Amino acid sequence: MRDVAIIGVGYCPVFVSKRNDVSIPEMISEAVWSAYRNCGLTPEDMDAFTFGNMHTFEGVNMPHLWSADHITALGKPIMRIATGGTTGMSAFHCAYYHVASGLYDTVMTVTFEKHSEGDAQVGLAGIITPEIMTMLSLGIDLTGGSGMCGLGGGSAGGISFQATSYLHRSGAGIEHIDAQAALERRNAAKNPYAHLKDPECTAEKIAATPMVSYPIRFGHICPTTDGATVCILASAEKAAKVADKAAWIHAVANCTSDPTTGNLIEGLITDPAEQMSCQIAAKKAYERAGIEDPKKEIDLVEIYNGFAHQTLMYLEKLGLCEAGEAHRMLERGETEIDGRLPVNASGGVVSTNSIGTSALNRVTECALQIMGKAEGGHQVPKKVRKALAHGWGGLMQYNTVTILGDAPLKR
Amino acid sequence: MDDKVAIVGIEYSQGDDLGLTRERLCFRTVRGVLDKLGIDRHAIDCFILASNDFLEGRTISNVFEDGPVGAYLKDETKVEMDGINAVVYGALRILEGNYDTAMVIAHSLCGHQVSPYLQVQYSLDPTYDRQLGLLNELSGAALQARAYLRSRGLDEGWLDRAAAAALANGAANDMVTRSLDGADESKVASSSYLYEPLREMHCYPPTDGACAIVLASAGRARELTDRPVWIRGFGSSIDSYYFAGRDLTRSASAADAARRAFAMAGISDPASEIGLAEVSDLFAYQAPLLAASMGLADADEAPRRFAEGGFGKDARLALNPSGGALSAHPVCATGAVRVAEAFRQLRGEAGAVQAGEPRLALAHGQDGLCLQQNTVVVLGI
Amino acid sequence: MGEGKKDFRVVSGAWELSGFNFRVEGRGMRLMMRGMKEGKFTGIRCGSCNMVYLPGPFYCRKCLVEIDEPVDVSDHGTIRSFTATMSDIRGNPLAEPQIALMVQLDGCDSWIMGVLRDVDWREVRIGQRVKVRWKPPEERTGSLQDMDCFEYE
Ligand SMILES: [Zn+2]
Repeated sequence: MRDVAIIGVGYCPVFVSKRNDVSIPEMISEAVWSAYRNCGLTPEDMDAFTFGNMHTFEGVNMPHLWSADHITALGKPIMRIATGGTTGMSAFHCAYYHVASGLYDTVMTVTFEKHSEGDAQVGLAGIITPEIMTMLSLGIDLTGGSGMCGLGGGSAGGISFQATSYLHRSGAGIEHIDAQAALERRNAAKNPYAHLKDPECTAEKIAATPMVSYPIRFGHICPTTDGATVCILASAEKAAKVADKAAWIHAVANCTSDPTTGNLIEGLITDPAEQMSCQIAAKKAYERAGIEDPKKEIDLVEIYNGFAHQTLMYLEKLGLCEAGEAHRMLERGETEIDGRLPVNASGGVVSTNSIGTSALNRVTECALQIMGKAEGGHQVPKKVRKALAHGWGGLMQYNTVTILGDAPLKR
Repeated sequence: MDDKVAIVGIEYSQGDDLGLTRERLCFRTVRGVLDKLGIDRHAIDCFILASNDFLEGRTISNVFEDGPVGAYLKDETKVEMDGINAVVYGALRILEGNYDTAMVIAHSLCGHQVSPYLQVQYSLDPTYDRQLGLLNELSGAALQARAYLRSRGLDEGWLDRAAAAALANGAANDMVTRSLDGADESKVASSSYLYEPLREMHCYPPTDGACAIVLASAGRARELTDRPVWIRGFGSSIDSYYFAGRDLTRSASAADAARRAFAMAGISDPASEIGLAEVSDLFAYQAPLLAASMGLADADEAPRRFAEGGFGKDARLALNPSGGALSAHPVCATGAVRVAEAFRQLRGEAGAVQAGEPRLALAHGQDGLCLQQNTVVVLGI
Repeated sequence: MGEGKKDFRVVSGAWELSGFNFRVEGRGMRLMMRGMKEGKFTGIRCGSCNMVYLPGPFYCRKCLVEIDEPVDVSDHGTIRSFTATMSDIRGNPLAEPQIALMVQLDGCDSWIMGVLRDVDWREVRIGQRVKVRWKPPEERTGSLQDMDCFEYE
C-alpha cells in the first residue's frame, strides 16, 4: 500500500443556478486549469484521469468523450465512474486506487454537473422509469387516488420518510433541521464556491419557508447548481517533489444497500434512516485509517446532505456522536466553523449541489481545510489533523467515506 | 507485471434475445461464476459494475443491480463504459492491497429491449452534431471505413470477405448465437446497405449479454483455482472527440493503450510474443485496423491476410477466433467478453474455437465514435 | 463572467425514451395483485433466511438464491414512517395534504407504501397500528387500486 496525497484542487469560478456564459466542456475546463494553477502542475504531469457526473441530467451520454480535448486528457488513460450522488467521491476513489496501485504517480479527477442544461427532476424520476412504465402498463394510475401512492416527485418523496424516521429516532425536532439549514447557509456565505448564501440566515427564516412534504421544508432542500470540481492526487514521491502542501489519504471505503423507496416492484427492506451502508463504510474506513475513537480523532467533517436533516443524521451514522446527540451538538454550537467539530464549514450540499461534484467537494473541502487553504473566511480556526468526507447517493442506499490527514498514515 | 492479479473465474452469455430481465441476467451470471468457484457472495470483497444509464434507460442504474449481483451491504462501484475498464479497475483495487477478490459484472440488453445506437447518439455534442443530425455511430463508422479502404487500396469486396472471415469464426463458437450459418462473402455482399459502404453484415448485431469476471490476488487466486490466468499488463488512451486532426485510418489511442499494456507486461515484440488477440471489432474493417495499430500485424498486410483467414485459429497470431464483436456486441460487456474469451483460450477451454496453446493473449475494448477510446489488457498463463 | 463572454445561444434537445422495451420481473407483483383481489396480501419467503418480501422478488438479497415460496402477509401493520405531501409531483399545491405511510405489515420484512385518509396529519405518529381498508369485493380488479387506503386499527 502506497501513500497518496491530494496536492491540487480546482473549482470553476462560481457555483450558480445557470452558467449561461460557458458550454459544458468550457465550464469543466475552467476547473481543470484552476487545479493546475492551484498546484503548479501542467497537463504533461498527468498520468491518468478519472471522470464523473450523472449524465442523464444533461442528456449527454459519457461526456468525457466530448470533453476529452477540454480536460487535457488526449492520449491519456481515462476512466468514467458514475454512482449517483456519490459519483464525485467514487471517481476520486478510483483515482486513489490508480495511484495506490503503484502504477500511476499523478492522477486527476474531473467532475461536473450543468443542471441548467437539463432537468434534474426528470433525471431523478428516471431512476425508476421501468417501474413507472410497468405500473402504467398494469393499469395503475399514478396521478393520484391509488391506495398505494407515494412514489413521490423527484427525490423529495422518499427523503421525507427518512427525515420523519430520523426525528422519531433521535428526539430532534423540525426546529433543529431549520437551525441546521440556517447554519449551513451562513457558512456558505463565507465560501466563494457556494451557491445559496445568506450571512444573516436564521432558523426562524428557514421555518418560514413552505412545507413541501412533512417534515421537509423548502429551506431544507439543496438547490440545483452548475459547477465543476477537479482534484489532483499524487504519490508521496511526486508530492514531495512538486507540492508545498498536501492532504494525505488515510482511507477510502464505500458500501451499498438495497434501494429503499420507490421500488414497488421488489419491495422495501429497511428504514431509510438506518443507513446501514453508511455505518459499514465508516467502520471500514476507520479500520483502514487506524482510527479507534472517531469522536476524539476526527477534527472536521463534510457531510453529503442533499437535505438538511441528513447532516445531523449522518453525524450519528458515521459514529461521530451518539445516536440522538447530533442536534444537541448543534444546540451547543459545537458544529460551527469555530466549534469543537466543524461540520460542513463549506455550507454543505444543501447550499450547493451540482451533483457530479457534490461528493468530491466534500473531499476537496476537507483537503483545503487541512492545507489551510479554504478561502473567503470559512477556514476553521483550529488545526485540522484528520478530516472525514462523506458521500451519499444511489437511491438513498449508497454511501462513501474518505478520511484525510495532515501527514501520511503511520502504518 | 509478475503474478500479482489473476482472473480465476468467468461466466458469460450472449444472444440476440436472451429473454431475460436485466436483474435476472445479472443474477444468473453472477450466481454462475460463484457456483463454478464454489464460493458465496461473501467471498467477494468488491463489486465493479459496467453498464450505461442511457442503455438502461434509467438514472443511477446500478442501484437496482446491486441486489441481483450480490452486492447487498457490500462495496460496489460502477465504471460507466466498456466492461474491460472494470477489469482494469478491479486489478487496481487488488494491487492497492485492501482487496483480495473483485467481481466485475458487465451487461447490456441491446437485443430487443434497447436500441444499441441510442447511447452513442446521446454521447454526441448536443450543440452541434446532434443539431446537424448527420453524425451517428453508423455514419461515423462508414466515414472511417471509407478512409480505411482508400488508405489501404481496398475495395468494398474486401469488406465482404473480412466480414465473412469474422463471421465464420463466430459460427464455430457456441458462445455466440448470431445466425451465422452460411455467412459467406456473397451473403454478406447481398445484405442491405446501412450506411454505404457498410452493409448490415459489416456491422455488429444488436445483442443481449452479460459477463462476470472474478479477479483475485496471487495468494487468493491459488486457493480458488489451480489454473489462474494472470493479468500481465493493461493500458488505455483516448483520442480527440473531433475528427479534425485524427487519422481515421488507424487508431492512435489503441496504439497508446497497447504500448502501455506491453510495457507493463514486459513485451518488447508484441507481433511475435502475443499468440492470441481478441479485439472489439464493431465493424468489419476494425479487426485488422486495430491489430495493425497495436503493433500485432503489418498495416499493409493485415487487411488482406485477415480477409483470407490468415489470422485463423491455427495461425501464429489468432485474431478473434471467437468471432469478435461482429458476431456479438452486448454493449458494455463486449470488452469483458474479450477478456473472458482470452481466459478460456489460455486455459485451453475454448472448445471448437481453441487456437492452439497461447501463452500470452491480448483483449481489447473500445468506447466512443470511430475507436475514440481504447483499453487493452494483456493476459498470460 | 466577463462582459465579453456573453455571446452564447441556447439550443434545445430532449431525452427520448422511445428506444426502450423494458422487461421487468412481474411474478411477485402479479402474485400480490391476485391476492389483493381477494382482499389479502401474498409475499414470497426466502427458504434459507426466512425473510419475507412483499411484493416478492425472484431472489433473496441476503442469500443470493432464487426464491419462490408464496406466503400470506397480514393486512394489519405498524407505521414505520410517514410524510404529508403538500404538493403534487409537479409542485402544484394540493387542496388537502396527502398522508403517505411506510407500513410494515405483520409477518413481512419489507415495507409497503400507502395513503392514510380521514386523519389530521399532525396527529400521525411512528409506531401507530394501522390496517388496510379494502375496496368492496365487487370493485376489486386485481390491481393495486384494490386497496383503498390505510386506516387506524
Ligand atoms: Zn434469504
